[in-house]
Amino acid sequence: MLTVLLIVHSLMAVGLLGAITHQTVGVWWPAKKRTGSFVSSLRSVPSMTYTNAVIVLFILTMIVGSIIYTEYRVSIRVTLQDYRMYVPEGAFELKEHVASIALGLLPAYWYYWRQSLSQDRATTRAMVTTLVACIVWYNFLVGHVVNNIRGFGS
Amino acid sequence: MSIARAFPVFSAAFAVIYLACVQYNLAPFTYHAELMQWGLGAQPPRQGPAMYWYGWLTTSTLGATAVAALSLAVPASLAKRVWPGFVWLIPLGVIAAFVYILRGYFLR
Repeated sequence: MLTVLLIVHSLMAVGLLGAITHQTVGVWWPAKKRTGSFVSSLRSVPSMTYTNAVIVLFILTMIVGSIIYTEYRVSIRVTLQDYRMYVPEGAFELKEHVASIALGLLPAYWYYWRQSLSQDRATTRAMVTTLVACIVWYNFLVGHVVNNIRGFGS
Repeated sequence: MSIARAFPVFSAAFAVIYLACVQYNLAPFTYHAELMQWGLGAQPPRQGPAMYWYGWLTTSTLGATAVAALSLAVPASLAKRVWPGFVWLIPLGVIAAFVYILRGYFLR
């Protein structure tokens, strides 16, 4: 069951990563005119449309993550400590905290995107989006690395 | 009066309160993962690890909600004068504080 949840957690994290990355690129580097290129397509996404998807995916990913987190504490963290793998252990501790901070950021993230038509908060909107994106990327990479250390299904 | 204007206050307050929760272990309940038991307050480990994270999230959410609700008492005209950058700068500072707190893992 936990393996299924881990896979679901990973798949939702991939979706979240794609959505927030698109939005971040679109908010910092918007395309004035869409051409046929991949980069132009990436830059010209309507960033605002990603907001609700990012919030829903973040919350769902976090709910599933918080369920499988117990298994990490009971068996995986112990393994990291036994093998004195302090850096991955510390990186995962940080993941736990930054994920919580990003969860708390979601109301502000929603608030600034709701007002996307007004340009006076554009910098704040871009910075909040970037911070959420950095946290999502960090969490994805750390989760991936720690999962690889322990080994799938072990 | 729009309740939504308190959302940035909630986010900034959440980060600060969460940091305090971790530092002072302000968990209203503990989960003993190996025993699959919940306990009231911050309890020491019984068998296996004691998990406080769920409690920290609860305290932070309640605390930030209270701060955000109080912020609605501030007139909107006055609130507009506050630099909005605090909403990302404060969480960023809290992340830096966590990196400092956890530095022992990376400097061994």
